[in-house]
Amino acid sequence: MASDDDKSEATESGSLAVSARGFSKHYGKQTAVNRVDLDIRKGEIYGLIGPDGSGKSSFMKAVAGVLSFEEGTLQVFDTVVDSEASAELIKQRIGFMPQGLGLNMYPDLSVEENIDFFARLRLVPDQSLTERKSRLLAMTRLEAFRDRPMKNLSGGMKQKLGLVCTLIHEPELIILDEPTTGVDPVSRRDFWSILARLLREQGITALVSTAYMDEATRFQRAALMYQGKVLAEGEPDVIGNLAQGTMITIDVEDQTKALALLSEQFEQIEAVGSRLRVWVDEPDEAAAEIQLRNALGGFVVHHVECDTPGLEDVFVAKLRQEGHVVAELPAFEAGTSSASGVAIEAHELSKCFDDFTAVDKISFTVPQGEIFGLLGANGAGKTTAIKMLTGIQLPTSGEGQVAGANMSTAAQLIKQRIGYMSQAFSLYLDLSVSENIKLFAGVYGLDPSMRRERSPWIIELAGLQGYEKDLAGSLPMGLRQRLALGCALVHKPQILFLDEPTSGVDPLGRRRFWEILFNLARVQNVTILVTTHYMSEAEHCDHLALMYAGKVVADDTPDNMKSAVTAEAGGLLEVSVDNPINAVGVLEESDYKGAALFGRKIHLWAPDDESSRNRIQSLLAEAGIAVLGIRSRSLSMEDVFVYRVLQQEKAREQSAA
Amino acid sequence: MKTLRIWFTRMRVMTSKELMQLLRDTVLIIFTIYAFTLDIYWAGSGVSLSLNNAALMVFDGDSSHASRELTSRFREPYFQNVGSLSHSRDTNDVLDEGQAMVTLDIPEGFEKSLLRGEQSTVQMQVDTTNTVLGLLASSYGQQIVGRYGLEVAMKQQGLSPDGSISGPILDDRHRVWFNPNQEDSWFMSIAELLTIITVFSMMLPAAAMVREKERGTIEQLLVSPLSGFQVMFSKVLAMTLVIVLLTSISLFLVIGGLFGVPFKGNPWLFLALATLYVFTTSGLGLVIATFSRNMAQAGMLIILLIAPMIFLSGAWTPPEAMPTVMRWLMLVSPLHYFIDAGYGVLLKGATLSVLAPQLAGMCILGGLNFALGLWRFRRQFA
Repeated sequence: MASDDDKSEATESGSLAVSARGFSKHYGKQTAVNRVDLDIRKGEIYGLIGPDGSGKSSFMKAVAGVLSFEEGTLQVFDTVVDSEASAELIKQRIGFMPQGLGLNMYPDLSVEENIDFFARLRLVPDQSLTERKSRLLAMTRLEAFRDRPMKNLSGGMKQKLGLVCTLIHEPELIILDEPTTGVDPVSRRDFWSILARLLREQGITALVSTAYMDEATRFQRAALMYQGKVLAEGEPDVIGNLAQGTMITIDVEDQTKALALLSEQFEQIEAVGSRLRVWVDEPDEAAAEIQLRNALGGFVVHHVECDTPGLEDVFVAKLRQEGHVVAELPAFEAGTSSASGVAIEAHELSKCFDDFTAVDKISFTVPQGEIFGLLGANGAGKTTAIKMLTGIQLPTSGEGQVAGANMSTAAQLIKQRIGYMSQAFSLYLDLSVSENIKLFAGVYGLDPSMRRERSPWIIELAGLQGYEKDLAGSLPMGLRQRLALGCALVHKPQILFLDEPTSGVDPLGRRRFWEILFNLARVQNVTILVTTHYMSEAEHCDHLALMYAGKVVADDTPDNMKSAVTAEAGGLLEVSVDNPINAVGVLEESDYKGAALFGRKIHLWAPDDESSRNRIQSLLAEAGIAVLGIRSRSLSMEDVFVYRVLQQEKAREQSAA
Repeated sequence: MKTLRIWFTRMRVMTSKELMQLLRDTVLIIFTIYAFTLDIYWAGSGVSLSLNNAALMVFDGDSSHASRELTSRFREPYFQNVGSLSHSRDTNDVLDEGQAMVTLDIPEGFEKSLLRGEQSTVQMQVDTTNTVLGLLASSYGQQIVGRYGLEVAMKQQGLSPDGSISGPILDDRHRVWFNPNQEDSWFMSIAELLTIITVFSMMLPAAAMVREKERGTIEQLLVSPLSGFQVMFSKVLAMTLVIVLLTSISLFLVIGGLFGVPFKGNPWLFLALATLYVFTTSGLGLVIATFSRNMAQAGMLIILLIAPMIFLSGAWTPPEAMPTVMRWLMLVSPLHYFIDAGYGVLLKGATLSVLAPQLAGMCILGGLNFALGLWRFRRQFA
């Protein structure tokens, strides 16, 4: 066996961009990366997938030659990286974009000045700079913004500028550390298609990390990392086989009771809107469905849908199988909130800052006890809308009722009745868990007996038993978020406002978080208004409002939103071909503008009928590409989001023209 | 009744939160304790405004009894003879090189002309780079030389064979009040304490506020039923408590204990005034916090404000010596009132009735600062 391995490595070594063996990195006593073996071939997009703190960044920094490591070997191109001198040798061939939106660029410099700066740093001759700059700016569609200061760009545009700056010296290997974190789905798709095009046209190699599990399909090959180790490695399909099972979505009568019943048998179960999603440890769909129906017994099942599990489900299943136990949630008192009827009513709310309209006449209604999701790209006006509803900002015009009080006249009353949790962790890092709870209990004027009753409940809710005396700053992200949620719930509010509550939280943490939200809404009848960047989370909401440029452009249940898009645009087709990178180019240049590469497959919008299948077949055949299969895919919320936002953008361009 | 109870609960939990946060900020707390103890000790014991051991070099071209007598009168603690020069022209060089601060040039024939009853000259050169010390050195030198000249003259006239003066001369008998031995440590340590109180009563509340802005915790407070007043005033309250506590340590242990300043007035009155002053100034800190995005900006703004506040306080220059415009500006420097009141109580034994104007000044400025801070705070977040 050993000799076989040697042989294959010898033949491959010339085609490898990066090769790591037994790579380990420690920070003090903590092990960030633990004995990792990885090979990245030239010309591929290689992905590192994993939650925060899984060791992705440490590995990438070592490859970029900016971080030393203790154990193992690392070879980048032909150079063994073992000292600062050897790291210097490869730096000219590498482009590195660190984590964080635009953190490596200068906010006060313009787009062009930033690019020029990076070019001069890399000693790019003026003539090639001019040529490359115009080519890259055209590709990223930043041409029109040359003179705009970097700080005034949107999140997606900042990331594209970062990419241009990374590419300006024409590196052979680019290393992008979470380039899509905090970027909205449309900009994320745009970013991926630019990256795919670069690969196609320039033949560079990319090592990209992401915390979004659903982006795994964007890579040719990837490694799934957790706690410094590689759980699985290879093509996305291979990683998907890490745990065997079937994902079943059921529409069942009396969701809450069914959930309680099924939880006894199936550990990996969650409520999604009005449905339940259950993982069954049985790869055969038919057998899995029978298992589930038997478990349900007498419940009336309206609808059953079996599916191959997504990577996030697989990841959770794998961790569960390895014995990561999630603590039980405390009991939720039924109907704590006695309010009924309409919880939030926004009527033509607007907010203007100087000459800029952040929110433009939005109206929506949220009944008590509903989970309401507010979706939108960065700068669409979600946060401003929440700030008006919570009484932090006064609306320029329009009015609203929140928790039975008028927004403009009774802000103080509203504040007493709502809970709020913001984007950034907004508790005191230098206070301990119990001190934070005590503080907010006091701020909301709880008397001592009430406080003694609520504190243990919050501790249990957040799964913080044993951490009471720890400083909040020393907790991992997932625990912090749940503590913040607990503090927002200390006074039993009628309405809970959550502004991107789960950014930076790993999949396990996010699941528990949504489990809590579900119980709050269904059992305690608390109204929840949430904004999120994770489109997979949008599916958990009962009702959604999609914001674009300060306006609500769609307002419906997730299912209705999907069927509306299907009715307008036809379905989503998944095309498998033998040369996906070229095929996506061919399709983009014909009428399939939205064609996008997902791993080795292509997604595009088209009605699922013979004529569109034939057209795709013939287009690709002309280009000499063989089609291996075309099948329709059910829409995800992300597809809906991207479709709607692109539609708005097109309408805007037309009205501008 | 219930509303009132809740109001006090909120103030209590917010104030104790600020105290806990401050106590856990190790760097800040060490710096604060240092400022109120060691820094004041060093300021009191190290900085001196009197002439001590000024380096003197003499060119004695006469080498006579009279020249030696004159030279010997330049003695410690004011002057120290650090060497003699062999040429008159060297006097400039040693001043340039900083070897001496004062040079004395006694020409040849000094004694002869004195004995003949003719006018005789000596030259003294003083380095007045430091104006205060230079001025002192030159006036002490004048006195020494003048007195010697007078004695010689009287001796020659036979008015006083032993050299003591007993002629028609004014006898100056001055009394030094409040600091009889003119100890610099008394003045300096109190001046430094007042400055430190000023710096920290701006810095600590500003830091507490900016920290909330930087970390985004301010949003969580804004959506809670806390009023802007409660958010801001709890910080002022906590920081005032800490500063007044440290001030009393500094006052009783360092200023009273180590430097032995006798408190003529009631030190508790001083602490009460300090409390009022900290409140006045911390309002300013909060105004600064509303203008700055991070601690670095707040720090720079504080430095920008501290310098003119100290210049305009009257600590270094009495108001009467300032141009008219500056004297008007002094009215808006809270430190000006506090310095008057502070020295008044500690060294002069002033009572509350004497200090009424200062008290009124501080109250008005404090109210204005706090109102401005509250207005800026509300404007910024609405």
